[in-house]
Amino acid sequence: MAEVEFERRLERLFGEAAELPDAAQFAERVERRLDAGWTARRWLIGAAGVVGGIIGASQLMMSNVVQRVETAEDSARLLSSGLTHMTPRADWLQALSGGGSVVWVAAALAVVMMGFVLTRVIGEI
Amino acid sequence: MPGSRHSRFASLHDVELCTHTATGERRAFGELVRRHGSSVRGLLRRMGAQGAEADDVAQDAFLAAFERIAEFRGDGTFAGWVKRIAARGYLRRLQKERRIGALTAEQAEIDADGAGGDADGRIDLDEALKVLGAAERVCVTMCFGAGLSHQEAADALNLPLGTVKSHVKRGLDKLRTRLAPADGVAMEGRRGNG
Repeated sequence: MAEVEFERRLERLFGEAAELPDAAQFAERVERRLDAGWTARRWLIGAAGVVGGIIGASQLMMSNVVQRVETAEDSARLLSSGLTHMTPRADWLQALSGGGSVVWVAAALAVVMMGFVLTRVIGEI
Repeated sequence: MPGSRHSRFASLHDVELCTHTATGERRAFGELVRRHGSSVRGLLRRMGAQGAEADDVAQDAFLAAFERIAEFRGDGTFAGWVKRIAARGYLRRLQKERRIGALTAEQAEIDADGAGGDADGRIDLDEALKVLGAAERVCVTMCFGAGLSHQEAADALNLPLGTVKSHVKRGLDKLRTRLAPADGVAMEGRRGNG
């Protein structure tokens, strides 16, 4: 019984650690290290997003996207001219047929979106 | 404003602060460090770490706790959890630097120093721990300060269970004499958690 009491007393004594004079500075040092680690992580995630975007863009380039866009433009032009003969002219089809730049803008937006998605996914992980 | 955030966290319980930390709120964890930093550093010093080394290990332990905060279920206290991380971290450091073998070698010297100590007056725990050999001090502190069982201490120290029990028993006997000499109680036996 006395043994158990002594052990409890010992545990209490171990638990009663006095506050060290530089306790606040120690906490600040830990917080600084946490902040530094967090900043590094954010840079890493951002860099991964950029790399992901570049890879996505290069994949688009490599997959004959230019050829496909040109084919799509030709098809749109054919369709447009066919429809012009059949129906009154529709302005929106004209807009589409001249839309090489529109497709490029869409592709760029897709790459940016992929970058964002990748960044979010890595952030969640 | 950082000050108001700190005061907001100051009123929260440890478990609530852990919940905030788990959502990525680093200031909540800062409050936990402010509350328990001294006790973790004190534990490491009692295990034998010098001031700067104890602070390094304690910092690493808190950072590890931040990374693993989702593992803390609130079964025990947050301080106890971090102390266990810190104690194991300190032992890993000793093993890495091949200093753990020196623990037993240090024992005789410290025992000799402590033999002539003040056995009549009541002294505090830190003074009493100085009488213990290094291995005894580490084992007692791990079991009674960090709350590890004998088996867990043996695993962390990579020592046989019986050896750890012997160190704890010898350490307790010495502490009993130093901490309560007036009682005259000769208590035998050892901690029954291993």
